[in-house]
Amino acid sequence: MNAWQQTADLAGSILLFLGAAVCLAGVIGMLTLPDVLTRSATATNPQTFGMLLLVAGLALRLRSGVDLGTLALVAFFQLLTSAVAAHLVARAAYRTGQTGDCALLYDELSAPEDTRPSA
Amino acid sequence: MRLANDILLNAALTLIILAGVLLLIRIWRGPSMLDRAVAVDVAAVLIIAGIGVDAAMTRTRYYLSIMLVLAFLGFTSSVGIARFIASRDRAGTKERP
Repeated sequence: MNAWQQTADLAGSILLFLGAAVCLAGVIGMLTLPDVLTRSATATNPQTFGMLLLVAGLALRLRSGVDLGTLALVAFFQLLTSAVAAHLVARAAYRTGQTGDCALLYDELSAPEDTRPSA
Repeated sequence: MRLANDILLNAALTLIILAGVLLLIRIWRGPSMLDRAVAVDVAAVLIIAGIGVDAAMTRTRYYLSIMLVLAFLGFTSSVGIARFIASRDRAGTKERP
């Protein structure tokens, strides 16, 4: 095992550790923040950044073509689907009135019916 | 070098397990069903992260397809909850005019 492979292994381990730390930070945010919208916002932290760091670290450690393709697909689908889930959860939270104590800076959904943009 | 890799990977696994425990607390306490939906989404991400760290430890590639399926379908649970259950869930809400 030459020096480049050792360096790539160490960099991959550091990236995996950082990804796990980002996941833990997001979960701590989910425990401490007050309502659904803020919890959903901090839940995207492990869903996007932590996942990208983990996938990059794993790619640096595995280093073969097929695995890199699979990991790229994992990152792509994660980025695609977490946005859909967060959007639907936030919209349901607004509809059922669970948006905290009216701390929204700009409330686009409360416009009158005829000026509201179609959903 | 090998010792540093082992320490980093074991620390990463420990952090992920700790995050899972804290997430179980949120699922337990979560005042509404939507909090639990978001938490279950993050639980899928933590499962992917744990599989990834394990694959990096043992340098195996057999679980990468499971990571792919979880990343592709992990959001369906929260979408289902948001579509069909949340309209009946009134825990901790206030009346909106």
